[in-house]
Amino acid sequence: QEFRRVFFLFLLKIICSLILEAPLAAQSSAMVSLHLVPRLIALLLLLPGRIRSSSPVFNSLLSDLQGDPELEERCRDLLRDFGRRYESYVKCAVPSARPVRICENCHIQFEMLRVVYNNISSDQADPENCRDSLLRADRLMLVYMLFQNLEDVWDVAHCSQCLSGDGLSNITLRYMAKLNQSLSCFESQKNNHSELCRVCRADYKDLNEFYSIMEKNQTLCIDIEDSMNATRRLWSKDFNCSFPREETVPVIAVSSFMLFLPIIFYLSSFLHSEQKKRRLIHPKRAKSNNSLMNIQDKHS
Amino acid sequence: MANITKKVSWSSRGDEPAPAGEGTPLLNGAGGAARSYSRQFSGSGIFQIGRLSTVDLEEDPAPEEESAISRPKEIPHNEKLLSLKYESLDYDNSENQLFLEEERRMSYMGFRCLEISRWVVCALIGILTGLIACFIDIVVENLAGLKYKVIKENIEKFTEAGGLSISLILWAFLNSVIVMMGAIIVAFFEPIAAGSGIPQIKCYLNGVKIPRVVRLKTLVVKVCGVICSVAGGLAVGKEGPMIHSGAVVAAGVSQGRSTSLKKDFKIFEYFRRDTEKRDFVSAGAAAGVSAAFGAPVGGVLFSLEEGASFWNQMLTWRIFFASMISTFTLNFFLSIYHNKTGELSNPGLINFGRFDSDSVEYNLYEIPLFICMGALGGLLGALFNVLNYWLTIFRIRYIHRPCLQVMEAMLVAAVTATVSFAMIYFSDDCQPLGEDQAENYPLQLFCADGEYNSMATAFFNTPERSVRSLFHNPPGSYNPPTLGVFTLTYFFLACWTYGLTVSAGVFIPSLLIGAAWGRLFGIMLAHITPYGSIWADPGKYALIGAAAQLGGIVRMTLSLTVILVEATGNVTYGFPIMLVLMTAKIVGDYFVEGLYDIHIKLQSVPFLHWEAPATSHALTAREVMSSPVTCFNRVEKVGTIVDVLSNTSTNHNGFPVVTRVMDDDEPGKICGLILRSQLIVLLKHKVFVERTRSRLNQRKLQLKDFRDAYPRFPPIQSIHVSQDERECMMDLTEFMNPTPYTVTQETSLPRVFKLFRALGLRHLVVVDSENRVVGLVTRKDLARYHLGKHGLEELQLAQT
Repeated sequence: QEFRRVFFLFLLKIICSLILEAPLAAQSSAMVSLHLVPRLIALLLLLPGRIRSSSPVFNSLLSDLQGDPELEERCRDLLRDFGRRYESYVKCAVPSARPVRICENCHIQFEMLRVVYNNISSDQADPENCRDSLLRADRLMLVYMLFQNLEDVWDVAHCSQCLSGDGLSNITLRYMAKLNQSLSCFESQKNNHSELCRVCRADYKDLNEFYSIMEKNQTLCIDIEDSMNATRRLWSKDFNCSFPREETVPVIAVSSFMLFLPIIFYLSSFLHSEQKKRRLIHPKRAKSNNSLMNIQDKHS
Repeated sequence: MANITKKVSWSSRGDEPAPAGEGTPLLNGAGGAARSYSRQFSGSGIFQIGRLSTVDLEEDPAPEEESAISRPKEIPHNEKLLSLKYESLDYDNSENQLFLEEERRMSYMGFRCLEISRWVVCALIGILTGLIACFIDIVVENLAGLKYKVIKENIEKFTEAGGLSISLILWAFLNSVIVMMGAIIVAFFEPIAAGSGIPQIKCYLNGVKIPRVVRLKTLVVKVCGVICSVAGGLAVGKEGPMIHSGAVVAAGVSQGRSTSLKKDFKIFEYFRRDTEKRDFVSAGAAAGVSAAFGAPVGGVLFSLEEGASFWNQMLTWRIFFASMISTFTLNFFLSIYHNKTGELSNPGLINFGRFDSDSVEYNLYEIPLFICMGALGGLLGALFNVLNYWLTIFRIRYIHRPCLQVMEAMLVAAVTATVSFAMIYFSDDCQPLGEDQAENYPLQLFCADGEYNSMATAFFNTPERSVRSLFHNPPGSYNPPTLGVFTLTYFFLACWTYGLTVSAGVFIPSLLIGAAWGRLFGIMLAHITPYGSIWADPGKYALIGAAAQLGGIVRMTLSLTVILVEATGNVTYGFPIMLVLMTAKIVGDYFVEGLYDIHIKLQSVPFLHWEAPATSHALTAREVMSSPVTCFNRVEKVGTIVDVLSNTSTNHNGFPVVTRVMDDDEPGKICGLILRSQLIVLLKHKVFVERTRSRLNQRKLQLKDFRDAYPRFPPIQSIHVSQDERECMMDLTEFMNPTPYTVTQETSLPRVFKLFRALGLRHLVVVDSENRVVGLVTRKDLARYHLGKHGLEELQLAQT
């Protein structure tokens, strides 16, 4: 066992030195310069399917030295699949970043990605299984991290809250309908803001209340939140339909009346209440009765 | 002849059901004494039951011995008085023969059991205190939640429809009604439950018996009162009352019975005396602190700081045990309440939340800034205390009738609501609604949809939540003008509120004021420094500001540092918090004392500080002591004893027992000391020499009989002594403390003081060179000296 480990480390060392020296040896070749480690990672990120064809040194050495090549082939297929789905998800997600429509547009892609990842992580047939060799064979654990990041994004977006089964949930669809109704009302009245506030208030209020209910039931995802935010901004800031502050006078009147009460209270209790007096008691003392004088005498 | 008339009045008193419930009748000038004054002199039968302070003293009874003195006998209340209402606790053990006998009878196992039951009592104290804290927390949360929900819905409705002044009136009305309930129970049923209770507990641990402070009734009133005042939206916290509640729990549990409910569980009988009770009370106070702040060590140190003169290792360890149990209990039950059973992360009533270490680390160059903030806190604290001092004097002098007190509390509640509403109404500070922010009741008002009024986070919330949001909301959640106006308003509101007749603490308001200006300070700092936003985290400065303000107001040192460190859960803040508290104390002490000390003084409590006042070495025991002393013979006539005990103008509590009192003024040699409580028990059981002779089979009096009467010994008036019995004799030898502490006449005041303070004495006999009793030093004789602006000053004794 010990011997195997030492041997393995030794091999790794050789491989590393090969990788590092290769570009120095053949700087002119564009193909070989891809062996640079950072480039490799970039490649892994974007085009995992091309690993094999673009890295002959890796390929030959590793496949010769590491276990059964057929098993590797299976894993490599999984990896390639993962890469393709990853790519399609990212391609979907980036354009949906602003305004946020990621849950609505990309849930199919994400589901596919999740399936393949689950395949990888649940593959534990042999001691030399794909889960170990793809997910935890090295310090970087790239596949794991890539997926984890996407899953975190998905969780933070609360996408699962507005999906049900294989599509958007009913409540989300209803929200969308209400949103469209409000927006089309805005569209029709956009030239006259005061008219808009009056005409569209019912629609907008309906939407707003529906949103509050969804908020309470925790059926919001980022798409809905973002669209609602935008709508609210339109309503309050652009069309200026918030409530105006118009009852300042009654509020000031009531407040000053309230503030006036304690003054009356304190004045009346000062004038009418009897002041509390304390009756002094003279304690029994030895002959020198007034000892305070005594103290002062001693001090002066 | 005089005796007979007095006795007539006693027997008439016997028909009345009153005396059991109110006022410890033994108190000097309290209960019985005040009543017999009105009975004897005014003749109009003024009976103010339960409210000692309302006993009408305006009708001058003109006792004979005072007529000679020309000085005005009545003065307005001020802080330079000592009240006769307060007495010492009997901390010193009376080693009389009964005690020795009991100790002889007790086996080794008995002592072991005693030790174990001490631990059991401490565990019970911790559990019950934790439960009470849990109860208060849950009820306040729900009640306040309900109130805010109603008002919020109302405001939302009227924002749209118009008529917001109605919401304002609704808010003020709800506040007033809730506060009114709290104020009524306090003002009419148990006035001692007013305020935070920390001054009272401080006095108790100092060795002063505050009447009714550790009663079950007080606890109930305190708990209900604090719920009402916090839910009523006053600028108060529930932490101070928690400490008081812990102390009451301790005093109750350790006695194994409730005198109020007339239920005796026949357990822990050994602990029925002041010595043991006071140790448990310090454990209870610690458990209260620990439940309030989630700070077990802080609780232990609080007890240490306030009652440190009687302290030992085992006691500390037991107190720590009680503290820990209390935090744990609170934790556990809150976790059940929040449906996270077993998750023990709710350590205290106030949870400052976690300070992440990377965003709020501090640097060396910030230390001077912290010190400046400490100084500012000291200044503001001193201002707070001075304002509150004048207000309290005004209240004591003019607002002493319960109905006026209730009205005042209601007005404060209404004005608090009004001011808060006006602030929220006129605020233009709108902030977007964050996902993780703890805005439980966000108010939108005139803000854009999806935004809330940022002034409302501070005002439309329970104070604790406001503190937490000031600590933890991300930078930019508050505009500087909002914070400035809030600080100013809340400062005056809190100052006005403290001292009302509601039970409420000052910790949280102070923290809130400090957190507001601290946050403001942090924001300003970020503005004026070019790269400020990196290190000037407003939350950090809010914490430091809160510490500075609290330190400036209450002036606690060691325990407060540890409490704050524990409440934030971040030890690295220990150093800056300590620096800030030190600075705040130094700066504040330059102007005025701490808030609790001011209130102790205003209540005329004979409080003994750590040391005798400096420059008092020239005073000797001869000048300090009371003289002449009322003494008894070893074998004394019952009639004499009854007369002395029922003499309301003297009302002494300890009587030196001497060999023989000569008929002239020649004092006798001391051979012991006997207490009023002991004499009363003896009279009640009629332990007369003649009787023991005639009835040999009579049961011998045991220490248990004294304990059963503790702590509410019947007043002397309730004990009927017939004319025949007055002629009997009583042998005091067995019952007196044969070895009381004595000093000679030439002993200096600091020496007497040290002896008194360190041993927790109640009476110190002054003897001459031949061991003859010449005087008696009590707490009030020592406490009356204090160092004023013009050297040593003397406080006057007064009837309150």
